[in-house]
Amino acid sequence: MTEAPKKRGRLFYKFLLIFLIVSLVPLGIVGYYLVNLSQITLNRAISRDQEALAVGFADTVSSYIINFRNVLFDAAHLEDFASMNVAKQQALVSHIMQLHPAFLEISVINADGQETVRLGRFVHDTKMRDLSNDALFTKVMRAGEFVGGLEKYMGSYPAITMGVQIVNPQTNQPVGAVLAKMSLTALSSLLKTGFPEATHTQAAVIDSSGFLIAHSNSKEIYKPDAKLPDDVLNVLLRNDAKTGSGEMILESTGERVLAAFAEVTELGWVVYIQRSVSVAYQASDDMLKRTWRMMLIVTVFVLFLGYAVSLVITQPIQALREAAIKLGEGDFDYLPDLSMPNDEIGELAHTFMQMSESLKVKTAEIMTAKDELERLNRSLENRVEARTRELKSAQDELIKKERLAAIGQMASVVGHEIRNPLAVINNSIYFIKTKNNAVPAPDPKVAKHISIIESEIRQANGIIDEILGFARTRELNPKIMHINSYLEDLTMSFPVPPHVELVKSLAPENPVVSIDPDEMAQAIRNLIKNGIEVMPEHGKVYVRSEVVDPGTVRVDVEDTGPGIPKETLEKIFAPFFTTKARGTGLGLAVVKKVADRHKGRVEVTSVVGQGTCFRIFLPIVQNPPPAPR
Amino acid sequence: MAQQKHKILIIDDDNHLRESLAEVLDLEGYATIEAGNAKSGIASAKKHNPDVVIMDIQLPDSSGFQICQELRRHSRDWVLIMMTGRFLSAEEKTQGLSLGADEYLTKPFDIQELSIRIRQLLARRGK
Repeated sequence: MTEAPKKRGRLFYKFLLIFLIVSLVPLGIVGYYLVNLSQITLNRAISRDQEALAVGFADTVSSYIINFRNVLFDAAHLEDFASMNVAKQQALVSHIMQLHPAFLEISVINADGQETVRLGRFVHDTKMRDLSNDALFTKVMRAGEFVGGLEKYMGSYPAITMGVQIVNPQTNQPVGAVLAKMSLTALSSLLKTGFPEATHTQAAVIDSSGFLIAHSNSKEIYKPDAKLPDDVLNVLLRNDAKTGSGEMILESTGERVLAAFAEVTELGWVVYIQRSVSVAYQASDDMLKRTWRMMLIVTVFVLFLGYAVSLVITQPIQALREAAIKLGEGDFDYLPDLSMPNDEIGELAHTFMQMSESLKVKTAEIMTAKDELERLNRSLENRVEARTRELKSAQDELIKKERLAAIGQMASVVGHEIRNPLAVINNSIYFIKTKNNAVPAPDPKVAKHISIIESEIRQANGIIDEILGFARTRELNPKIMHINSYLEDLTMSFPVPPHVELVKSLAPENPVVSIDPDEMAQAIRNLIKNGIEVMPEHGKVYVRSEVVDPGTVRVDVEDTGPGIPKETLEKIFAPFFTTKARGTGLGLAVVKKVADRHKGRVEVTSVVGQGTCFRIFLPIVQNPPPAPR
Repeated sequence: MAQQKHKILIIDDDNHLRESLAEVLDLEGYATIEAGNAKSGIASAKKHNPDVVIMDIQLPDSSGFQICQELRRHSRDWVLIMMTGRFLSAEEKTQGLSLGADEYLTKPFDIQELSIRIRQLLARRGK
């Protein structure tokens, strides 16, 4: 069992990616939306708040100023004051200044414009002035009261001048005026209290000409040329609206700010509040930061969770894949453990196992069928081969038979045609011989030639016999006979020359065979004749019969001649094959033919220099008829 | 002996064979009559009433078997001998013998043997 490489498939990463997208995208959208919403909300809320603050503060400023005017007004309407008793007035003014530290200096002026009382915190010149031609005095006397004339008191403190008529309560006639300069630094203090530095909010009060009256940063106010940035002033001074708010970018610093303003009624002043956006949006920025942090945490969490989930999901699939690979390799027996949870993948695994089982069975069937097919194929091939061999040998046999039949036919015709002239010659020579013998002194030479002719006729006749014997196609005429007596008769009548000894050795069983005596005689005679022919000097011819097995008897004809070389041995039964100078080459072919026709066979063994042995195997007749010849 | 000469009719289309056979049979002491075909052979037999008829198995106008059959119909007394240049099958031999032939000769044949055989066959018929 080889361990499949633990490779993460693409599915694993796909799962991770999907988990990340699914969890981060909504979070991102919600975060973005919330941050945006919070910014818009904050923007609106802060703007609205600032505007409200500005309006509220404008009221405060207005009340503050009016409050002090009222103080002067109330004092100026007192009977003691209207009496224009300087001492009483002096005491009252002194009392007011003690009560209200904002008053820098207060002067009382009679109807003629002569200063009667002059008190001031930083005034050491107590000389009374003639203010009859003073514009401010004129204005007060004509209009009843005056608030204005902003200045940098002593070059540093923003201050305002206000004046009220001194009115006789009985006559209700103006009898003089009270002029007072009051410090406005308290407004800055108020602003500072309302908008401490920690809030990163700046507030200021300006008049319609851009004069900086108060500022939440008190340092600003004491600067000799203190004023708001030009771009802010531009917006504030050109605006006709009583109140307003919005976001703007300061040209000087490039800072984004949320700004609001409100007009101070009657005075024509403007209260301006600005807050840095970065500060204003602190909350939403926090939210953004938290969102990012959240997303990071979620990412890590999702990665871990996704890893685990992907593992849970992909591991069974991986296992299935490994199993499928094993299955593909044809390894049915060592499939990995596919015990899976009871879910769809578990079902898949179960189905897979069923499939592999079925596949195993089917494959086994197929393999068996294949083996069977191969076996059948082999058997078929063998049969085809065997059949082909049979057909081939049958064809060869047929061709041989046809050839032999043609030879036989020709030989028959030739033999017949030659036998006629031979018969004539034979008759004639008989006639001549008879006549020659009849004379009183026959010529011996004539007798010798007659004898030669007779011998040649016999030889020619023998050749024809041989050819016709091989060629003849007559049916076998078998007779049941004992082999031994047959061989005895045959050898007895055979003309054996004196230099050859014929030795018989016959089987004691004396088996019964079914043979055509003429044909078998021809075969055995051919063999004996051959044996004699190869032993011109001297030698032995053995004729034997021997039972080799219960069904077969063997007839041997063996000589002690020179033997036959191996290469020749294979061809000696072929028709027309001969090693003799004279001869048809049919002698042994006839032997083979006769043996074949008797359902037997012929074999030959030979040792060069020792001799040759021909063996004819013949079937033994098992239950011979009662009286065989 | 001269008066007792047996008559032998030889029917063969081969002139040389017929003549040479006639000559040697003459030497052996027989009177011979020759015929070159079946028709004249049968006519000759009827005319001369021979003791022996030697005929070739194949003749131009008829087969030896037919002549044999016809001659035997004519006389049961004649010795009928058939000559052939080839081996005869067992059936042919049986057929020939059943049609009345007394003997078969395979060419070439030994005259002395033939002579002896003829005498035996004649003796069997009491001639």
